[in-house]
Amino acid sequence: MGRKKRYLFTEIEGTRETIEITHLRTKNHFVLAFLLLFFVLTYTFLILTRTPSIEWIYVGIVFAIVILLNIAALAYGKEDRSFYQINKYTTTFGIYTIILVLIFTINTIGIFPALFLAYALSAFYQDLKVMIISDVLLLFSIIMMMINVPQAMNFISGTFEDNLGLAFFVFLFISLLTIASYIIIKQKRFFYNQIALAKETEFRNIDLLIELKKRVGEPEIDFPNYYHHVLAFTEAFSQRIEMENEFKVRLELLALLEQNKPYSEVVTTYPNLSKTDYEGLADLLLTSHHKLRKMALKLSHLSTFDIKHREIFSETHFKSFNHAADQIEIKIVAFSIFYAALKHGNEYISPISEADIAKVLLETDYYYYFDPRVIKIYEENVRVFESIIADVFRKECLK
Amino acid sequence: MKTFFQRVFNTEFLPMSEVRKIKVLIVMVFLLVTTLSTVPFSLVLDYSLAFKIGAIALLFVSYVVILLFLRFGRYVIASQLSIVYMLFVTVFYTQGSSSFFAYLFFYILLMIVIFYQELYLFVFYGTLTLGFGISYVLLNQADFVLLGGQQETIFLLIATLSLFYLIFLIQILHSEKLYTELNLDWVKMNQIIDQYQEHSLHYLAELRKTQKESPLYENVVFQQAANEIAVFITEQVREHGKDILNVLDLYLYIHERGLSHILDNDDFSIPMKRMASRLEKYLLNKKSDMVSMIFNFQTIYQPSEPYVPNRYAYKISEIASSREDQILALACLYAFLANEPSQLDQYDQMTKVLSKAEIEALFTSPEAEQILDYELVAFFKANKDLFEEYLHGWKRKE
Repeated sequence: MGRKKRYLFTEIEGTRETIEITHLRTKNHFVLAFLLLFFVLTYTFLILTRTPSIEWIYVGIVFAIVILLNIAALAYGKEDRSFYQINKYTTTFGIYTIILVLIFTINTIGIFPALFLAYALSAFYQDLKVMIISDVLLLFSIIMMMINVPQAMNFISGTFEDNLGLAFFVFLFISLLTIASYIIIKQKRFFYNQIALAKETEFRNIDLLIELKKRVGEPEIDFPNYYHHVLAFTEAFSQRIEMENEFKVRLELLALLEQNKPYSEVVTTYPNLSKTDYEGLADLLLTSHHKLRKMALKLSHLSTFDIKHREIFSETHFKSFNHAADQIEIKIVAFSIFYAALKHGNEYISPISEADIAKVLLETDYYYYFDPRVIKIYEENVRVFESIIADVFRKECLK
Repeated sequence: MKTFFQRVFNTEFLPMSEVRKIKVLIVMVFLLVTTLSTVPFSLVLDYSLAFKIGAIALLFVSYVVILLFLRFGRYVIASQLSIVYMLFVTVFYTQGSSSFFAYLFFYILLMIVIFYQELYLFVFYGTLTLGFGISYVLLNQADFVLLGGQQETIFLLIATLSLFYLIFLIQILHSEKLYTELNLDWVKMNQIIDQYQEHSLHYLAELRKTQKESPLYENVVFQQAANEIAVFITEQVREHGKDILNVLDLYLYIHERGLSHILDNDDFSIPMKRMASRLEKYLLNKKSDMVSMIFNFQTIYQPSEPYVPNRYAYKISEIASSREDQILALACLYAFLANEPSQLDQYDQMTKVLSKAEIEALFTSPEAEQILDYELVAFFKANKDLFEEYLHGWKRKE
């Protein structure tokens, strides 16, 4: 249990990152908008308090740098997504710098809570590294404030109660902020992971369906017949628009690809054809596990879904053996049936070895599909489980 | 405790209900620390001794009440009560002093509301806290001006608290919108996976027929293995492991007679019927959570293509860039649907081919946008007659 769990399918990492980056751009826009609002509020305050203009310039320079960096990162991010990532860190440093400059400039207790604004803005990114940087910077800023501008903290009379009070508040607030941010970040990852996992599960289940169709002896796609009818269709369409049939060559190439003709052979007849173009056409084949076949299967399973339950990632849609409303007996039966089914195998898959089952159940996200008590018993007794099953199967063999 | 921390560190694997449970437990730890600290801090608050004792006693009693809600699994109510509890603590501090610390409590209260990441909680309690915080600053202006040394301190305190609230309000609104969209995609994907698995289950049954084997739940070795495992696990949890066999018998009986037979039969007790209903999602003879989990596990051992960025591309425009290729792909898709059996018929046989009307309805449905671009749908509508004439039902004709 001590080991950090990982997702079973490593393929989901790439998808999760893509989802994350897509939404990071929106978050960057929001943070920029808040920075501008913060800028307006700060200058309103500076005008109201008739602060000397030299201090306006200091504050203005820091704001300008952070805002310009944000705009630049957003612009370059379209070309290279790593700019969005860098922007998270530079903005976090930038916001704390702005607040520290304000603290040194304004010197009043009212500016102390502005540090929480810095934390709130950086929390908008919902990123673990940003959270750690923000924690360190918040602590550093408070210490800096206590040492260098104690007058800004003149709500502390210097008595033991006041110091204790401040220390208590800072500890409580930072701990709560950190744990809250940590869980919110993890929750976000859960959502992104579920989407990525569902995509991978769908991909693999389509493959499984194709294999099962093959196994039961369903006839393969009759490509020549498809070729013949689609060609007739394109001829008719070309006639309708009074153009030459431009689809014919592509169809011929598809037919050659279906016959597994190598590029070197095909290029002699079609000299303008690039290797990438030829190989890329494989996605348009309806046979085997090609992309178009998968699309066709997906399309044939689509129907108008009526989604009534609005709760986000509701447990009713979450397939597991650890539903809160179930009694422990049901959870035990569910685990036993699942485990015995894997060990027994079925018409399609042979029995799965104990090492493979243990690896998946104990080291991956599967661990959380079971009641903690049940999976712990399995974890502590893997060998016993193996012996029980071996014993039952041996007795059967002896019979 | 160790297990709890490990669950916190692995929150990303847990469903919403589990995370809510963890959140309430963490907030309860904070409330306990705050309540315990209130005892010494109450000495400096401007209340009579009797009131202080009464208020702190009330806090402890309320704490126990929240714990009771937790004990009985009422996490939503417990989360609401924990916010009300903290609101009460904030009122206790703010009304007992005009200290700057009391003002800071509004941030702690807001953080607890934010922690739950529920829009309705934030809109209600967050706005209440903001309103309370602003009025607290306005009512104690004199004290704050004295502390800050200038009239504008009031502006600063109110603006900071409001901006803090606003940032998190936007964050929660944005997250809510985003997660709702993701959730919709997720539910749709799960439903379509269910349909693939329903067909996979059908093919598995076909395979079983050809191999002349009995279903898994009728297999004596499988039953024996499940029994032994269940008894072993139960013995680790409680004294009498054999009791679990009654549940297993009930589970197998549902396969044999069906759930409705049990639910309609007065010979079965209410708890037994309730248990049978809960076991339904784990049956092996129909598309259930159990079947899904087994299929998903088995796909691990099925060869899969290596990851490429367009692995999950199901839109024609994502696999074909030229218009000619897209039209060819569309024609092939139509031909597939119009000639290959893709649905189970009334006798549960995979023989049903989609009719012209069904394909048209499918192509023009909002769901088809996952595969067909608007331009392709428009092309289909404009040339529907050609699709139907050249591509529909040739297999039957032949």
